[in-house]
Amino acid sequence: MSAEITKVGIISCSGEAIPEGTISRLATRRVLELLRPNATVTLCLPLFLSGNEAERNFAKTHPTITIDGCEKQCAKWGTEQHSGPVSSALVVTDILGTQAAGCHRSSRDASQPDKQAVWAVAERIAAEVDTVLVETGPGDGAAVGTSGAQCLCSSPMPGGKVTIQGAAVSIPGLALIFEQCAERNIAADTGSAAALLEVVKIYHRILPEEETEYRSALLAAYQEFRNGVTPTK
Amino acid sequence: MLTEPAKNSVLVIPCSGIGKVHGLMSREATYLVTDELAPAQTDTLCLALLVKGDSEAVAAVGSHACITIDGCAKACAEKNVTLAGGRVAKAVQVAEAFKNHRGAKPGNATALTDDGWIITREIAESVACEAARLQACEEVIR
Repeated sequence: MSAEITKVGIISCSGEAIPEGTISRLATRRVLELLRPNATVTLCLPLFLSGNEAERNFAKTHPTITIDGCEKQCAKWGTEQHSGPVSSALVVTDILGTQAAGCHRSSRDASQPDKQAVWAVAERIAAEVDTVLVETGPGDGAAVGTSGAQCLCSSPMPGGKVTIQGAAVSIPGLALIFEQCAERNIAADTGSAAALLEVVKIYHRILPEEETEYRSALLAAYQEFRNGVTPTK
Repeated sequence: MLTEPAKNSVLVIPCSGIGKVHGLMSREATYLVTDELAPAQTDTLCLALLVKGDSEAVAAVGSHACITIDGCAKACAEKNVTLAGGRVAKAVQVAEAFKNHRGAKPGNATALTDDGWIITREIAESVACEAARLQACEEVIR
């Protein structure tokens, strides 16, 4: 790998026949749009066979993580066969266990279990992106994720702002993160401030010495969110 | 593909492209056909499994009429079915459906808007009609 590499490739199987394929696709989108928007790129898996040389070289030019819905691991196989070895291979059924039971293939039918499954897999992918970045070059994924660049496929989610040490700090997708916390029944009170901080830390780098201030700022912003106030962009 | 498709069913295979809304529309149109409009006449399979060269998937596209739905001109679904030895009875391009919806905002690669669902349903209805025609003409089984 070249020292100039800054982005991790994520290849989803997107298998149409099973709900786990939909979860792999949506979780990949979540990482691209929200969790690590500036550290990740993607490519359609079928392009490896029908695409050109540049597309087939994808895994040779990016450290690549594959996300497969089932143990057949088509994304891993296809990527390695046509492009090169992958840095990491995740399988939705390994991550979720029985949690995927009751999930749906179509987004028309998506319910709470579907949303939770996508979040769980997306968080696992984001953690893997951070690991790969540490292994392949300087910096870490969370730090990369807070800069202003765009990923290959989509624009990053707008950030929400909190004030830390007198300065406004933008946290990408804060409203979506709060939405996730609400879905997980994290209360907007001081007793839940630590849990709130832990969730935000998944998406945004917070140094240990900053945690106390972030805890208060995030709790205040979350309380406003629960009262219907959208985080300041 | 969890189970072998019924002998006379038509396989609907989308590209599911992950980078643009058209890929999502191809995927959701497929589910509208196989789950709602023509569940007894159609089925789908994982395009990735076909890309992998899975013997059951290759056999399925070789023994059933296939309708592919592609999001972009790269036509990954159509090309991969053909490469696997399958017979593409009809190749649908999502972009074609936009001709009657100029200015529509269909959503993004993650979620469809109302506009997106309207166009997607039109694609699905067209595919379901084609599947019915193939069955009526007994073009389903090789």
